[in-house]
Amino acid sequence: MPKLKLFRAGLMLAQKTISTMLRKKNVLIALMMVMAAGAIYAYKEFNRTNTNIARESSAFTINATELIKEFTNNDSLASSKYVGKIISVQGLIKDIIKDERGYYTVTLGDTLGTSSIRCSIDSIYSGTAVSVKPGANVKVKGSCTGYNRDELLGLDIILNRCLIAGQN
Amino acid sequence: MLKFFLFFLLCAITSIAFGQTRFFTKTGNISFYSTTKVEDIEAHNRSVTCVLDTKTGNIQFSVLMKGFEFRKALMQEHFNENYVESDKYPKAEFKGQVVNNGNIDYARQGTYPVKVKGLLTIHGETREVEADGTITVSNGKVNTTSEFKVAIADYKISVPTLVSDKISKIITIKVACALEPLK
Repeated sequence: MPKLKLFRAGLMLAQKTISTMLRKKNVLIALMMVMAAGAIYAYKEFNRTNTNIARESSAFTINATELIKEFTNNDSLASSKYVGKIISVQGLIKDIIKDERGYYTVTLGDTLGTSSIRCSIDSIYSGTAVSVKPGANVKVKGSCTGYNRDELLGLDIILNRCLIAGQN
Repeated sequence: MLKFFLFFLLCAITSIAFGQTRFFTKTGNISFYSTTKVEDIEAHNRSVTCVLDTKTGNIQFSVLMKGFEFRKALMQEHFNENYVESDKYPKAEFKGQVVNNGNIDYARQGTYPVKVKGLLTIHGETREVEADGTITVSNGKVNTTSEFKVAIADYKISVPTLVSDKISKIITIKVACALEPLK
């Protein structure tokens, strides 16, 4: 009988040791997987390029005249609301400028006013700006980078990485 | 009555003809470059506002920091959130003088080397800066270009030690603005 007890004890000890070893191995594997996931995330995050604005959703959709009004009335409040966000602005094209490097800037707003929304069209979306004309009612989507207020040059709300999302 | 009208017309025409002393752009380009052994960083801004008074040589630039575009989004975020704190200091400005403005004949096509001196404000810090540049008069437009270096520490821009070898202490700034008459 004692032999059997001894044998069973020995078996239990062996079982315990093997399961501990396996658990340790599992922990090791799990740890390595977490580290690998972390490394992949870090690599992807480090190399992340600015997202394609077309794929992102706008934080606000607003009329050009409304946006200009908000900035005219309280520029710091409007700034904290819109700056750094992706917005969609619907309005009439005041002017289309093409610079020496072939980049387009579309200005929205009332032709008589000194205030405008200046939209720097992203180079990958230049095609959307080629066919539009001043006076067209368009929807522009872009990232709001701030505003400039000057007695000489008027009020400009600036957007970059823009694309012309639609024309009415 | 007619004399008065003609006199008025003459004044108006004269002022229009000789009133083109101010040139400006709202689509000027400013880029900056940081080169280190570890990494090269560059950023570009295409919405720079520049006004030049050709009579006095007074020149001003205004740049929205959030308008600088980087290839890597994380770098752009760090630039805005940590380095230049663009929520606190949304703009960088330069207010200065074209030192040898008297030597430039803005009515004649040509390329003139210039020296520009003035106050540069970045991250809320203002420093006196002197830079070499070029003014080119062509087809009624005035093109201004310049390349100069700044030490980021001068503008209290602090880079954490963890990434200090990735960002150069001296940054090269390149300016290229095509100015048109301000009507």
